[in-house]
Amino acid sequence: MDALQGIMTGIQVALSVEGILFVLMGVFVGTFIGMLPGLGPISAIAIMIPITYGMAPTIALVMMAGVYYGAVFGGSTSSILLNAPGISGTVASSFDGYPMAQQGKAGKALAVAAISSFAGGTVSVVLLMLFAPVLASVAVSFGPPAYFALMLMGLTLISSLSECSTIKALISATIGFMVATIGLDGQTGTQRFTFGNPNLFEGIDFLVIALGLFALTEVCTLILNRKDQSLSQNKSIGSLKLSKSDVKEMSGPMSRHSFLGFILGILPGAGATIASFISYVTEKRISKKSHQFGKGSIKGLAAPEASNNAATSGAFVPLLSLGIPGSGTTAVMLGAFMVLGVQPGPLLMSDQPEIFWGIIASMYIGNIFLLIINLPLIPYIARILRIPRPLLISLVIMFSLIGVYSISFNPFDLYLLLICGVLGFVMRLFSFPAPPLILAFILGGMMEQSFRQSLTISNGNLMIFIENPISLALLIVALLSFLVPIIKYFISRKSEDSNETTSL
Amino acid sequence: MKKVFTFFAFMLLMFFVVACSGDSSENPDTSETTDSDSTEDSGSEISDSWQPEQTIEFVAPAGAGGGWDTTARMAAQVFNETGIIEQDIGVENQPGGGGAVAWADIHKQDGSPYNLFVSSPPLLLVPLNGQSEFGHEDFTPLSNIIADYGAFAVRADAPWDDLNDLFEDMKEDPSSISVVGASSPGSMDHIQFVKIAKAAGVDPTKIKYVSDQDGGALTSLLNGSVDVYSTGVAETVEQVKAGEIKVLGITAEERLEGEVLSTFPTAIEQGIDETFVNWRGFFGPPNMDPEAVNYYEQKFKELSDSEEFAEIRANYGWDEQYMNSEEYKKFLDEEKESIASLLEELGLSE
Repeated sequence: MDALQGIMTGIQVALSVEGILFVLMGVFVGTFIGMLPGLGPISAIAIMIPITYGMAPTIALVMMAGVYYGAVFGGSTSSILLNAPGISGTVASSFDGYPMAQQGKAGKALAVAAISSFAGGTVSVVLLMLFAPVLASVAVSFGPPAYFALMLMGLTLISSLSECSTIKALISATIGFMVATIGLDGQTGTQRFTFGNPNLFEGIDFLVIALGLFALTEVCTLILNRKDQSLSQNKSIGSLKLSKSDVKEMSGPMSRHSFLGFILGILPGAGATIASFISYVTEKRISKKSHQFGKGSIKGLAAPEASNNAATSGAFVPLLSLGIPGSGTTAVMLGAFMVLGVQPGPLLMSDQPEIFWGIIASMYIGNIFLLIINLPLIPYIARILRIPRPLLISLVIMFSLIGVYSISFNPFDLYLLLICGVLGFVMRLFSFPAPPLILAFILGGMMEQSFRQSLTISNGNLMIFIENPISLALLIVALLSFLVPIIKYFISRKSEDSNETTSL
Repeated sequence: MKKVFTFFAFMLLMFFVVACSGDSSENPDTSETTDSDSTEDSGSEISDSWQPEQTIEFVAPAGAGGGWDTTARMAAQVFNETGIIEQDIGVENQPGGGGAVAWADIHKQDGSPYNLFVSSPPLLLVPLNGQSEFGHEDFTPLSNIIADYGAFAVRADAPWDDLNDLFEDMKEDPSSISVVGASSPGSMDHIQFVKIAKAAGVDPTKIKYVSDQDGGALTSLLNGSVDVYSTGVAETVEQVKAGEIKVLGITAEERLEGEVLSTFPTAIEQGIDETFVNWRGFFGPPNMDPEAVNYYEQKFKELSDSEEFAEIRANYGWDEQYMNSEEYKKFLDEEKESIASLLEELGLSE
């Protein structure tokens, strides 16, 4: 009964004139900043904090939340159009979104992204409303062994990211692991591969690698193929309209990954980036048309887009109900709460229901606004592709540099970006796929740390991974996901062999 | 027509980027600071000594949102809003190397009275761990303004009711109890626990410390993966109120003020004669003009005494602890010595 009353006050807050106005403002600013390559929710929230001084906390937080999920919503635009991810959560969206744009289906790609984001956002808000109090216990159920098993499961899916050669995908992944070890080791504080350079102590930022490997590599390729007229002729944006079969194609992944993304978002530390990657690879694994992935598959775009937006709302569970920031962005959000004198935690829901439920209810309205803002803008935004190519290339380079600089304000990261660009280009020349590197980088670091945390706790006893039911279940899934394709392969070869023998 | 639209759309985009990157690195309040209503007399008091003649820069040697960043921004805001310092103050984030990147940079500004930075125990710990060339001796301590303390929490249903219970069990079987913190070994969460435990007679080299830097430390405590959570006092309040965890001890000299905070027992009152202060204050580049040091000392004192800053302290759960330049330097020298011997014992020093 209390919860129902809380929800009602929340809806009241969200539907007040002020509430609607500031949600609108929040999502507008968020989606706009998110669209810019390299600038993501962290910068968007940091910019907005000073604006909230002196505002009523509920309204201010409703707006800040809008900035956050708005940025994730808008982040897909630059991934799709320019292959330059706006935020780390939308890196996976470029795998299929960018090929679609190149095939002259930019309008459709943006529409798919917008609708999937909306679905992910909406489904997760409904889940948040229904289960928020219960979900807090889900968020705390994962200990180090379970995190290790989760990351391991994600890694078994790497092989499905290889386009032609599995060996090349594994080499890429190995490079990703190696890069993940750079910096101060979390468990001992020892320097690893830093060469004594303090700029490397905190490791390499994910966005530096993503922008280098995707945006700069793409720019290099475009410059190299500048005389190739076939590409530059293809400037059509295509129709926005989704055919019935398109809708049918995206509805499956959209609904699946709204749930998966939400659950992964709840786990502190996992967040939108890991959720979008895991969604992408699982969708590819279960899809019957997995060969289309990476070449402009609607499913391959809908899955990470639904997932990253759902994960964004999911991240509010540990933030609001436990006061635990699960990611860099939610840590800044927590800072925004503190500035306004609101302390999120287990008591927020009963002490200040109007804040707790107001934010959640406003997210529903915010998502509708985002769809309304984004859909009509698509034809205009997609025109970016009509900008003459030399100008577009320089703009992508400029935005990538600005984006990276705005994370750290450190020129050293700009050199790192260039190195990653060169690495990405060389990898592309020799057709090594970049996605496994990225996936190994984001999962590898956390996997190593949680593995060693577990072993410290258990005094070196490996049984800890099996004794914990969650980690046991995840390990079994990981084992299956590793073995099933191999078994399938042998079965199909056997039947081929038997076919051959019978035909002889 | 279409071309014109696209052009404008892009101009708008570019304008936004420039505006954004500018905003996030500078103090947003600098534009509203020229109101000249107050503090004319406080200016004339020290009119013959040093006065700032250009924008002052506060560097937070970390990203947005952390303790250093908040302290720098709040101090700059109060300085300018109250007119204690009328000269514009800009706040700049310079993350990297746990502070080492910014320190190396500021060290180059030899003698400049305009490049201040905020710091806390990592300024002692990071160089001791061999991760920075520069430590507090290489800068000019100006003033300490606030203090924060560590808290050791366990689950509400844990078998220990005070620190002595816990430490007795740790002495008996150190491998059965694990301690989690959000920073790496040899840094704050670890050292504050080791310092107190050692004073209670626990062998510091046997303490099992797990570092969780992805935000999972509290989660690990709540789900039973680890036994003890070493963290800041403020981080525990909400969970204690909700009855999820209990705080066995804090590292402050005396009990703190506040509805929940005052219920936390200190280590000292449990017979363990040791403290750990998470101090936070401001420093300048090396060889700063003594007149300028004087000026800032006075200004930080005014800041610390102001009602506006008291409100901010209350908001963030910070304790007041002002030290002038000389006291601060002496305090830091002593702190460093005690931490250095602790790290040596742990085998963590370089």
